[in-house]
Amino acid sequence: MNVPTEHLLLLSAVLFGLGVLGFLLRRNVIIVLASIELMLNSANIALIAGSRHHAGVEGAHLDGPVLVLFVILVAACEAAVGLALIIALFRLRQSVMLTPAVAALETSPETTP
Amino acid sequence: MAEVLFYVLAVGAVASAVGVITARMPIYSVLSLLGTFFCVAGVYLLSGYQFFAATQLLVYAGAIMVLFLFVIMLLNLHDEELIEDLHSFARVSPKVLAIAGATAGGLVLALIYASNPGAPPGDAALAAARLEGGADDLHEIAKVLFSRYALPFEVASVLLLATMVGVISLAKRERPREARGMVPTSWPWSATNAKTMSENPLTQERERELVSSGSASE
Repeated sequence: MNVPTEHLLLLSAVLFGLGVLGFLLRRNVIIVLASIELMLNSANIALIAGSRHHAGVEGAHLDGPVLVLFVILVAACEAAVGLALIIALFRLRQSVMLTPAVAALETSPETTP
Repeated sequence: MAEVLFYVLAVGAVASAVGVITARMPIYSVLSLLGTFFCVAGVYLLSGYQFFAATQLLVYAGAIMVLFLFVIMLLNLHDEELIEDLHSFARVSPKVLAIAGATAGGLVLALIYASNPGAPPGDAALAAARLEGGADDLHEIAKVLFSRYALPFEVASVLLLATMVGVISLAKRERPREARGMVPTSWPWSATNAKTMSENPLTQERERELVSSGSASE
């Protein structure tokens, strides 16, 4: 595949931006968690792109892939803990809706219940 | 051919990522996320990282996705939560929306301009040979993982253990102490024996203390 590294990084950056938008704007906590997974995935694409770029360097070409393994591990842990938190939140409030971060920033204190 | 396939997969990944953050129901959002994972696995495969494509499919599309779907099915969501009108997009003021969009867009632009990799360093022939036959030799990865990254590997196992304990303690339903068999029901402070609780001299003394301190503060 003769795709330049820039295009892989562009894909990674666009996915990360979409993840940030979903994280900031959505109210459903499940979708917020899905946005976090999107961001972690885009970081993995950037790592793979970097190690593909440096595939010709001796001794360094496997550092990126090993880091990808650790990121996948942490993402799995984060998903498990996040979903357990969602279950605990739902049990407490009978709802999975949040105040989105940007809306919380702009609501004045007297309007929040 | 592989190049065309890469761009098709990239467009698919971005389209399903847009689907993740604009879907009205969480189930559709999570299924779009599944599409993103598949496209990203294809990108890994085309880049020459077959092992990571397989790991992506097994861990993300397998385990994490099942976890998401399981939680969505487990929670008895109400209708207004199942169909989230995208009023959270509309309700935020255009100013804040512009700030969020500018942050995301600026991040994208910064990444593109900052990462101007230029020509790949190192031996071009070696790189071509590696990428052609698969850049991730499992034997090599295992050697690196258990020599240079041995300590992070062990720390990762501790992290997995901590996650397991944390998830169990978070998701466990809190039951009263009597139901767990920790307190016999005959004990005066057990909830099933509330009558004796008020007759307990220790409790009465504590209540008097509370009342007197409350009146004193007034």
